[in-house]
Amino acid sequence: MILQARNLTVSANLDGERVPVLRDLSFTLDAGKVLGLVGESGAGKSMVGRAIAQLLPPRFGVSDGTLEFDGKDLVRMRAEARRVLLGREIAFIPQEPLSALNPVLTIGAQFDEHLAHIGVPARTRRERMLDALDAVHLQGADQLLTRYPHQLSGGMCQRVLIAFAFASHPKLVIADEPTTALDATIQARIMRLIAEMQERENTAILFISHDLRLAAQVCDDILVLYAGRSAEYGPAREVFSRPGHPYTRCLQLANPGIHKRRGLYALPDRMPGLRAYAGIRGCPFAPRCPLAIVQCTLVPPPFGEVGADHLAACIRAERTAEISAPTSSPHEDHAKDTPILEVSALTKRFSTGGFRRSEVRAVSNVSFILRENEFVGIVGESGSGKSTLARLIVGLETSSEGSLTIAGRNMDGSREADGHCRRHVQMVFQDPQSALNPRRRVASIVTQPLEVNGDATWEERLARAGLLLSEIGLPPEAAARFPAQLSGGQRQRVNIARALCAVPRILIADEIVSGLDMSVQAQLLNLLAALRRERHFSMLFISHDLSVVRYLCDRVLVMYRGEVVESGAAEQVFAAPAHEYTRTLLAAVPPDDPNEMWSGLRA
Amino acid sequence: MSAVPAWLRSVRVLTGLAIVLTVALLALLAPLIAPHDPNEQNLLTTFLPPAWAQGGDIAYPLGTDSLGRCTLSRLIYGARIAMTVAIVASFGAMIIGAVLAHVAGYFGGAADWLIGRMVDVWMSFPPVILSLILMVGLGTGLRNVILAIVLVDWTRFCRVLRSEVLVVTRRDYVPAARLLGFSHWRTITREILPATLPLLITLISLEMGIAVIVEAILSFVGMSVGATTPAWGQMIADARQYIYDSPWNLLFPILMIFVTVLGFNVLGDGLRLTLDVRLTETQRA
Repeated sequence: MILQARNLTVSANLDGERVPVLRDLSFTLDAGKVLGLVGESGAGKSMVGRAIAQLLPPRFGVSDGTLEFDGKDLVRMRAEARRVLLGREIAFIPQEPLSALNPVLTIGAQFDEHLAHIGVPARTRRERMLDALDAVHLQGADQLLTRYPHQLSGGMCQRVLIAFAFASHPKLVIADEPTTALDATIQARIMRLIAEMQERENTAILFISHDLRLAAQVCDDILVLYAGRSAEYGPAREVFSRPGHPYTRCLQLANPGIHKRRGLYALPDRMPGLRAYAGIRGCPFAPRCPLAIVQCTLVPPPFGEVGADHLAACIRAERTAEISAPTSSPHEDHAKDTPILEVSALTKRFSTGGFRRSEVRAVSNVSFILRENEFVGIVGESGSGKSTLARLIVGLETSSEGSLTIAGRNMDGSREADGHCRRHVQMVFQDPQSALNPRRRVASIVTQPLEVNGDATWEERLARAGLLLSEIGLPPEAAARFPAQLSGGQRQRVNIARALCAVPRILIADEIVSGLDMSVQAQLLNLLAALRRERHFSMLFISHDLSVVRYLCDRVLVMYRGEVVESGAAEQVFAAPAHEYTRTLLAAVPPDDPNEMWSGLRA
Repeated sequence: MSAVPAWLRSVRVLTGLAIVLTVALLALLAPLIAPHDPNEQNLLTTFLPPAWAQGGDIAYPLGTDSLGRCTLSRLIYGARIAMTVAIVASFGAMIIGAVLAHVAGYFGGAADWLIGRMVDVWMSFPPVILSLILMVGLGTGLRNVILAIVLVDWTRFCRVLRSEVLVVTRRDYVPAARLLGFSHWRTITREILPATLPLLITLISLEMGIAVIVEAILSFVGMSVGATTPAWGQMIADARQYIYDSPWNLLFPILMIFVTVLGFNVLGDGLRLTLDVRLTETQRA
C-alpha cells in the first residue's frame, strides 16, 4: 500500500472560523494502480494533492485523520524528512506545463538541477537525462537539452515534465489535470505515456481530473468528490457504468457522448462555496439532486456499500439509475436553405518580420456556406486556423485572398460593408474573464450595443437587460453585479447575452465552453439549443471538443493546418470519417463506454 | 460593498491627502493666514530666530530673513507658487502624455513607432539640462516654468501609460466593443480609459511632487518667478549665503518642500495600492 488516507480532514481558518475543506476522506492506493479523483472545480480535488505535499495554502491545515505514504505518516512528519520524499519518492505532473518550467533556463539546466536534487552524481546525469527523455519518446534528446521551454510545444513540455517526474523512479506520482491545457490528440498521447511509464516502473498514480469519462478509461479506482466529501468510491468501470451516487450519474449524463447523440442532463446551479457547506447537516448534494427527499437534508448519508468494493454516500443509491437525460436532442432540422454566409477561397497569410521574410498561411483556401438557422461546427487542433477564420469573418482581420458574403452583401472592406457586418454578425469570445470589461456592471455590459447610437436611456437599458438576463437564465439581481462577482459559467452567459442584444443573424462562438466544468458546459449547451428554437440565428461553433460539436451542430468542418480537410453532416462525419485526420481526432476522444478499447490510448 | 470607497480607507491615502490639502489650503488662504506681508521688510529685526528659540519674537513665529521679512509668511505665500506649478504642470504633462500614449497603444503600428521614437529621443536629454535650456530659450517667469516641466515630463506619462494601454487593448472586451459598432473614440473613452485611469491618477500625484522639486530647483537658480514673489527655492537660495548666521532660514523651506513632496508621494503610493486592478481585482470577487 503506497498511499492511504483515513478520515482525512483539511480545514481552513477563515476569520477565526474553522471550515472543513475536505471531510472524512478515506482511500487507498496500491503500487502500480491508478486512483482517479473526480469532481467539479471547487470540490477539493487539488487539495488532496496539496495535502500530500503539505503545500496547503496559508491558514489551511490537516485537522483530523491520517495520511500515510509507504507506512510513514505524512501529516506529522518533520519538514526535512518530507523534503527528502518529495521529488524523489513522490513526484508531480502539473496542470500547466509551460508555467511549470522556468522560461529562462534550458531544459538541460533544469533537468540537471532536478537530478542533482534527487542525488544523481554529476558524472552520470547526462546519460540519465538522455535515457529519461528517450523513455518519453522525445526525439533528438541531445538538442532538446539546449532548448528553452518556449521553443517547445505544450505537449513536448508535458513530456519533459513526465520525464522529470519519473526520473527518480518514484513510488507515487500525482498528476493534477495533466492534459487539461492540451489538445485532444495530445491528451491521448500523454495519457498513453503516463500509463506506459507507470507500467514500466510499477508506480502508483493519483490522477486528478474533472473528466469522468477520461478517468474511467485510465484509472483502476475512482473517488468522486463533492464539496470536499466522498460521494462515491469504487472500481473505475463499476463507478462509471453503475454509478451509485446521483452526482456521478449526473456528471456522466452531462457529458455529450461521441458515439450516440442524446440529450444532456444539466445539473442546476453550482456547488456553493466552503462556508455554505460548513453548516449543512444533511447531504451536501441534496439541493441539486433530482432524487432528493426531505430526509436527505436532515441526516448526513452513510457511506454505504452499493456493490463489491463500491461505496456511495446516498440513501437512495438504488434509484440512481432512474435519473435519465432528456430525450430531446437539439436537432429538429431547423436549418433553411437560404445561405446567410458564403465563404469562398478565403486565405489569410501572415508574414513574419525580419530579414528573411517568410509567410505562414493561417487560413488557406477555405470555402463553405452557412445557411439560415444552421449550426456549423469547426473542429481542429490549436493552430489549425479556426480562430483566424472566425476573426476574418467578423472583420477583425482582413483576408489576403478570397471573398466573404454576409446576408447577400459582399464584404469589400468599405465602410458600408463593415456596418452591414456589424449589424448581422456577432462574436462570443472564448474567455469571458477577458471579454467582459471588469469595470462595467452586468446590466451595462449586456446592453452595450444600445450605447452605439447613444439614444437609449438608462431605464430602457435596464429593462432590456432584465429581458436578456431572464432569457439566458440569470437572476435579475445579477444586473447590478460586476463580472468578478459571477462564476465562470455565469460570466459566459453574460458574454452570450451581450452578443444576442445586437440581434445578430450569425453568431460566431470561439471555444465558448472549453475550460468549464461538465455540468456548466451542459447548461450552456442546452441554453444555446433553447435560444436557437426561440431566436432563429445561425452559428459557427468553434471547438476542439468533438463531442460538444457533435451534440450541438448540424454540420461540421474539420480544419487542419489552415485547410478544411473534411466537411459534411455532423452525424455522417463522425460515424464514417473519410479523412485520415478526422479519424485521428476521433480516436483521441475517450469512448463513451469504458469497457471499450480507447484506440487513442493503445495506438 | 460599503459607501466609503476603498481608496478612502487607506492610511497612506489619508495621510497624503491630509498633507496635500493642508498645503493647498495654506496657498489658497495665504492673505488670511499669513501674519505679515511676505515682502514687508523690517531692517531692524533681521535674522530673528523662531519664536521658541532664545531671542525670538512672537510676532515672527518662524523668525525673519536677512531683510527682516517674515519667514512664516514667505513660506505660506511660497506654497501658492508650489501648488500652482504642481497642479498646472502635472495636468499639462498628463494631457499630452496620456493622449499620445492612448494613440500609440491603441492604434499601434506606425503611430506607435513614431511616438515611441519621439519619446526615446526626448528622454535621452538629461531632464535638468533640458529644462534649463528651455528656460533660457523661453525666458524666466511662472508660465515658462510650467511649460518647461510639461515639455520635459510628458514622456514619463507616455511611456508608462502606453504599456498599460497595450495590455488593456489586448483584452477581448476591446475588439468586442468594436464588433458591437463602437467608434474608436468611444472604445477608447468607454473601454480603455476607465482601465488606465487609476494609473493616470497615481502618476499625476507623483508628478505633482516632482513638479514641486523642479520648480524649487529653477527658482533656486533664479529662473523662476521674479524676486518680488516668494518661492521656496528662492528662499533656500537667499538663506544659503547666511547659513552660519541663520540656519533656520535654510531649514524651513527645505522642510516645507520635503513635507509637500512626501505628501504627494505617499498619496500616489496609496492610490496605486488601492486603485490598481491587478492588486484589487482578485479580492473583489
